[in-house]
Amino acid sequence: MRVEKALVLIRDIAEGRAGGDHLRDLRGVAESLLDRPDPEANKLGQELLEALHLHGEVFQSHILSRNCPTGECDYLTPAPCQMACPSGIDVPSYVALIAEGKYDEAVNLIRQDNPFPWVCGLVCTHPCEFVCVRGKVDSPIAIKDLKAFAAERALSEGRYMNPPKEPETGHKVCVVGAGPAGLTAAYFLALKGHSVTVIEALPVAGGMMMVGIPRFRLPREVIDREVAFIEELGVEFRFNTRFGVDVTIDSLRKEGFEAFFIAIGAHSSFKLAIPGEDLPQVIDAVRFLQDVAMGSRRKPGDRVIVVGGGNVAIDAARTLVRLGCSEVTLLYRRSRAEMPANVKEVKQAEEEGVRLLFLTIPIEVISEKGRVAGLKCLRAKLAEADSRGRRRPIPVDGSDHILPADAVITAIGQRVDTTGLENLGLKWTSWDTILADTITAGAGQEGMFAGGDVVLGPATVVEAIGAGKRAAEGIDRFLKGIPQPTMPAVPVRRARITFWEMPASKKMDLKRPDMPLLGPERRRVTFQQVELGLTEEEVRTEAHRCLRCDICKRCGKCVAICRDKMGIDALELGYVEGANGLPTDLRRTSERCILCGACAANCPTGAMRIEDRGDERLLILCGTIMQRERLERCQGCRAPVGPSRYLDYVRRRTEGVALAFGGILLCEECARKATAQSKSGISVPER
Amino acid sequence: MEPREEKEPFRQGDRVQIYRASNDERWEPYMAQYIGMKGVVTDPDMVINDPEALVEVTLEGTGGTHRFPQDCLRKVG
Repeated sequence: MRVEKALVLIRDIAEGRAGGDHLRDLRGVAESLLDRPDPEANKLGQELLEALHLHGEVFQSHILSRNCPTGECDYLTPAPCQMACPSGIDVPSYVALIAEGKYDEAVNLIRQDNPFPWVCGLVCTHPCEFVCVRGKVDSPIAIKDLKAFAAERALSEGRYMNPPKEPETGHKVCVVGAGPAGLTAAYFLALKGHSVTVIEALPVAGGMMMVGIPRFRLPREVIDREVAFIEELGVEFRFNTRFGVDVTIDSLRKEGFEAFFIAIGAHSSFKLAIPGEDLPQVIDAVRFLQDVAMGSRRKPGDRVIVVGGGNVAIDAARTLVRLGCSEVTLLYRRSRAEMPANVKEVKQAEEEGVRLLFLTIPIEVISEKGRVAGLKCLRAKLAEADSRGRRRPIPVDGSDHILPADAVITAIGQRVDTTGLENLGLKWTSWDTILADTITAGAGQEGMFAGGDVVLGPATVVEAIGAGKRAAEGIDRFLKGIPQPTMPAVPVRRARITFWEMPASKKMDLKRPDMPLLGPERRRVTFQQVELGLTEEEVRTEAHRCLRCDICKRCGKCVAICRDKMGIDALELGYVEGANGLPTDLRRTSERCILCGACAANCPTGAMRIEDRGDERLLILCGTIMQRERLERCQGCRAPVGPSRYLDYVRRRTEGVALAFGGILLCEECARKATAQSKSGISVPER
Repeated sequence: MEPREEKEPFRQGDRVQIYRASNDERWEPYMAQYIGMKGVVTDPDMVINDPEALVEVTLEGTGGTHRFPQDCLRKVG
């Protein structure tokens, strides 16, 4: 009985059904086995206790996260999209909820891991989509766009909620910087019951989301609305307050703060280091974008040159167009192929009228009467690729020329402004970033934590959100005296949403929708959002394309058994293990499948199911109806005996062994009776 | 730190492998578990292709997303 109980408890843990008491009970069972007279029971008890001692954290992680990153626990194999998300959102579950039209449930599920679903729906770099398994079939699910729709709808309907808060702990935490990392840390710390104060040098919250990303990509209302929910949790904001200047670590400690999270971002710019750079009309892109974000609509000149080939340069150029500059030229020292900016953004910039000038190196800002008059440049050519394949720009002798300009915007990289952080005892890298542990955000000093761009250098919004979340966990453990983890946390499976059924032909036919864009004419004159959003019908249809990798672990057992054991080869699933680049066609199954059920019987996760429903037998993979056939019935008792394709298969395999009762279709029971009668002439008694 | 070799910048969508531990001070001990794993570059340096910037890589399967120094990465087909 005790062994059986241990087995039940372990199975619960491996299948994601365990609760808070399971580990304690398992330990109790193991200890009780040590007292048994049976040496085998003693041995098992000893082994169990050792496993709990050595791998206790793994057991605990399975209970808390309901995910097993190694995939050894079939039911708990996480989906690649969830593992790819820096904030660990349970993507398949919220996509499934969106498919059902449950937008508020989807958003509130997201907010258990990320307080900015709407922001991320508009500007996330979506690593999830890069690993989306549907991308191996045709194109990845438009996860980012689905999230944006759900968040907007939930807010619009007043169903966007904060998760429940834990009781007050009495601990005080100071977050320095109201960017995505700082705000996320504040959100999770407040949810854990800590008192949180956010100090921000700017007059608004949002950090780079607010002052670095232009409004035509991320409207201010989106940030304001999501920040308001964080404020609703009781987080206090002190704006226009610069750490190290207006407040110091000592003054804050005197106020009772026990832990500090430094998340000031990377708001300084690198210089061009050319003559004339100190003219007032030479502006760094970060400052320029910040001024516009804070309300300035003054164009720096009619003819403006942006120096740089990255995303910030593109954002600055597109902003200049909207301010009414008549000539916006983006100047890059290499060719288009080397340009680091996002290709889609570059295309949109060109549509809006930004002129791109490649293989041009600025060497001096030319002035007239103390104002910028032009940019002296050299033409460049790319050298032959070196041994590593990189082609360097080489100035062409005698190619110097002047490009007329009224202003120059420089966008050649950002760095951390270390002012105010000098005397905290922090360790700095050679890149002027804080050397901190990215799992716990620990910055090497008692009670000091750091995360986001100040640690990573300029990174993405979702990475900053992930860093803030990890920092909150690290700070919470510090305040409660709990040891810090040494490995990254496993994302939590928040739900197991049932499948939505759909024929395979339809599942294959669905195509990813194109995001409608504002026309270039309107884009040139307003800061209106460029991406107009998907319709509800598009969103729900798109969500139905999901292959549900939270349930199907893509082990390929079904394919191998159908092909190698049954000799049918009805499953063309190119995305499973061992498929070796074969294509996927879910429709092929209906041409060849005999509904034998071997695939379903061997599926370790229950993703593949075979089901008799009324007069039909169905084969269903994560809701996709792969095959359906009418059931034939026993001519003796009318019990279902299987679809004709399956029966034909059995007949073919057994035709050399026995005739099937002169063509009469019988179930096993009736066949047994008929055989008995034919062999002995004796009637089998009824059961 | 060893001098860095000049090499082709990583671009978004490049398939890469973590082929060794990095000499960069921003390499952390937990990253050793990812050596040998392959992934996709999801956020390279999109400003100046800085060969010293950390690069965001989303690892295949269930490896997750992490920012690595570039000297531990190599492109794979």
